[in-house]
Amino acid sequence: MLLHAENLSKSYHAHEVVNIPSVSFGAQGLEGLIGPNGAGKSTLMGLLTRRISPTNGEINLDVGDQVHNLNRLKSHEVARIGLIKTNQRIQGFDSLTIKDSLRFAATSPKDEGFTSIFAGERDSEDVEERVQRYVEAFPFADRNGFARSGGEKKLVDILRCLIAEPRLLLMDEPTAGLPEDITRIVMDMVREKVAAGEMRVVIVEHDLPLIWEYCDYVHFLSEGSILFEGAPEEVKSNRIVAEKYMGV
Amino acid sequence: MDYLIFSFSLMLVYIGLAQLLHIQFGLLGIPNFGVVGFWGIGLYGTGVLFVEFSVPLLPSIILASGMSALLAYVLSVLVLQRSGQAILAATLALAAIVSTLVITEKQLTNGVQGLGTIGFPFGKLDNRNAIFLGILAIVVGSLFWGGARLRDSRLGRSMIAIRDNEELAASLGKDTSATKRMTFAFTCGLMGLLGGLSAPLHQFLVPYLLAPSLTFAVWIALVLGGKAHNFGAMVGVFATFGLFDILVETYAPVPTEYALLVPNFKLFCYGVLLVLIIMFRPTGILGEEGPRVRAKPAPPTLRSAPLEED
Amino acid sequence: MLLLDAIFIGLLEASPLVLAAMGFTLIFYQNGFMNIAYAETITFGAYFAILFNVVLGLHFYMAIVPSMLFSGALSVAVYLAVFRPALNRGVGPTEMIILSVGVSFMLRYGLILAVGPENLFLNEPNISYMQFLGMGATNLQLIALVLVFAIAGILYWIIYNTGLGEQMRGLANNHELAMASGINPHRTSVAIWFVAGCAGGLSGVFSGVFAQVTPYMGWNMILITMLVTIVAGIGSVRGALVAAVVAGILTAFITLVSKPLYSEVILLLAFIGVLTFRGSKAA
Repeated sequence: MLLHAENLSKSYHAHEVVNIPSVSFGAQGLEGLIGPNGAGKSTLMGLLTRRISPTNGEINLDVGDQVHNLNRLKSHEVARIGLIKTNQRIQGFDSLTIKDSLRFAATSPKDEGFTSIFAGERDSEDVEERVQRYVEAFPFADRNGFARSGGEKKLVDILRCLIAEPRLLLMDEPTAGLPEDITRIVMDMVREKVAAGEMRVVIVEHDLPLIWEYCDYVHFLSEGSILFEGAPEEVKSNRIVAEKYMGV
Repeated sequence: MDYLIFSFSLMLVYIGLAQLLHIQFGLLGIPNFGVVGFWGIGLYGTGVLFVEFSVPLLPSIILASGMSALLAYVLSVLVLQRSGQAILAATLALAAIVSTLVITEKQLTNGVQGLGTIGFPFGKLDNRNAIFLGILAIVVGSLFWGGARLRDSRLGRSMIAIRDNEELAASLGKDTSATKRMTFAFTCGLMGLLGGLSAPLHQFLVPYLLAPSLTFAVWIALVLGGKAHNFGAMVGVFATFGLFDILVETYAPVPTEYALLVPNFKLFCYGVLLVLIIMFRPTGILGEEGPRVRAKPAPPTLRSAPLEED
Repeated sequence: MLLLDAIFIGLLEASPLVLAAMGFTLIFYQNGFMNIAYAETITFGAYFAILFNVVLGLHFYMAIVPSMLFSGALSVAVYLAVFRPALNRGVGPTEMIILSVGVSFMLRYGLILAVGPENLFLNEPNISYMQFLGMGATNLQLIALVLVFAIAGILYWIIYNTGLGEQMRGLANNHELAMASGINPHRTSVAIWFVAGCAGGLSGVFSGVFAQVTPYMGWNMILITMLVTIVAGIGSVRGALVAAVVAGILTAFITLVSKPLYSEVILLLAFIGVLTFRGSKAA
């Protein structure tokens, strides 16, 4: 599945924040999107997750036999096609326990119809087993209770997205607010899933060492457009990137 | 005795309405302030079909409930994705429209003169009002059975998720607006059913029955009992209607010169109770409850979990 | 001519509504919830007028100002006793509305327990029927119309041109920023509830003198006030003013061309229609 944008631009009061002739995400496995502050990363992410509508151009979701215009779809339709995003800011279901929250994400919408109130067992063995596996992998303070700290909530948000098994996952600053050891467990999990061909992932991050370590392909965004794309080594050693991105 | 049977029947109707509101507001977060409107469509729909068109009682009730559900569906398409305050105002407005139309459409409803009479079914039996009370008890009882099933089901869980964070639920692929529309229409249809069943209780229908006070009585009961608890509706109605309209009205030795003040005193107390409960125990008397799912033997885990101690 | 009639009648009928809608909107703007108990601010305004005008024997016009001030004080008292503690406890907007229903019941039925459910009448000043641009109206109606719009104008001026208004708008837009820049939210809130209470009380005095004073008069106005507020784009005082006038004129117009009760139905349907297309999106 490809997330593809053509002639995409976004302006605020005649000030162009993003202007990208052509870009594709989801072709390479685990991709990173990096760029200095003010490069337009969060605007591009907003456009990709439809929080922001583009001034020009459109974003298409190419699923092989069919191409969907992203901006014509409803939120749940995008997710059902297979594009899901993690949230940069903490989001959650306050009344659901960690496990219930994951069970909810793991359950297919067609199993949540009216007839589900007559079902003998609430969740299938398969769902229970998947939830158990994810919860066991992390040191939650109370595995049968609610997510307490901000870090736990952020982690649950990421796990919800993973357990929902998207075809393409957008991760918006996944490391922000997570302890480093947890981040590593999450990223190892993500890498495993990508390697197994279960999903493709795009990560937007400030944490460059993490990007270099995990990503197969990196998009470098500067001044609103993609200046360079390539394997991490190529991007790292690129002159333009080094020039624009001090500190590398 | 007959009066007591009438009071208990009425109380069951209140409990049923509060239980449906528990599903709409307590679980799904839809602030329906037009309860009396949907109930009223069932009530007057049944009355009009039965009296003016000589449709038998049962088909009248079913048709009228269907009308209520249909209208709720139309309204849900119009405003259910708007803010809670907009939904609240729109449902309140809808109830006002229903009660006004009942007055204006005289050729159907007989206006303020009143529409009647709708007798109890099973006309040949002596205890037909007691039998009707039994029927109501079965209907309302099944609403609680359904509520308990819902609480422990996948649908109930997704309703709570939608109440907590609709946008997030949608981003996980859930068609939240469809769930809200269908649930709202279905539960409003059941409010209509309770309205239809109320027609033989009241026998003679007057527009005054559609005053917004019914909506508020149901809301007060639910908030008091516990909006997110399956038995909140029942406890709340016992503590309001049961206490004031049955116990006090029937048994309290109120001197006749004060008798007229009792309903006002009752509503004053409702107000005080409502303020106290929201200030000091916002989840109501019973509080909130989680699903009761049978504990399964945990699958063998790869490593022991040191923090899992409860 | 029908249109002119409608505008004139509509303005006369809308005058109490204009004040109520502005006061209701102010509170909504300040605290973000619909205060159903505002109905009782209106009702109590009329009962305060009964106190001053009938019980204490003041001339009607003399009774207006103290009734208004008493309503303002009542509004502040209710805010300090119930709504502010509730807001501090983090009660959500829908629960705040339910809480305000509770306060409304308490005040209304407390009032009935104290003074009885009977309808009361104010001692109106001498009424003379006047012709005005070919349309008939009483001097009282005309005075009310002028007074109401004058006060609405003053309110409008306070909100959009004074320090208090600026602080209030600042608080409503960005609470933290406003507090950081030294606005005392407590004092501003008290001032808002006082001004809103005065507007509600005045609205009650005029609807009382046009018809009668009943414990339910505020309650009967609150639905339309709520709808006007929401349609006006939640929390814009400017919008509330316009929407209230339009609602009044619209009602009068529909009443002139159809049966009075249908005008209510049509108006309510129109409100639902407006909510559909521009009611604020779900959060």
